Amino acid sequence: MSGENGTTEATAAAQDVEETDELLVEEISIDGMCGVY
Amino acid sequence: MPFDPGQPYEKHPQVAIRPEGFGGLAYHYGNRRLVFLKAPELVTLVESLADYPSARDALSACVPAPRQKSCEQALASLLTSSIIRPR
Repeated sequence: MSGENGTTEATAAAQDVEETDELLVEEISIDGMCGVY
Repeated sequence: MPFDPGQPYEKHPQVAIRPEGFGGLAYHYGNRRLVFLKAPELVTLVESLADYPSARDALSACVPAPRQKSCEQALASLLTSSIIRPR
């Protein structure tokens, strides 16, 4: 039983890491916003 | 030059980071790049890089083990954007 829970937790943790791999940094350009100010 | 976690880095002196609920906003006053840092520990990591002999040491100290790989990849991206620089 505890082994299954451990596997489930490990899988969830791995999925969490995969989901965050590409999402921690996002760059945007503000050059086109000059007219806003 | 590619990112090497064994080397020392620091936040670029022309970069300011404003803390946000999701993490932080980094703005580079030189190249006018605006970068979302989507994790609070990533903000802490970038601000603390200069305090450690290598990026790997900073990662170990500031980021929980399961997220260190993601943050290491984020640092590589931040080097490309000149948000951080080698020391």
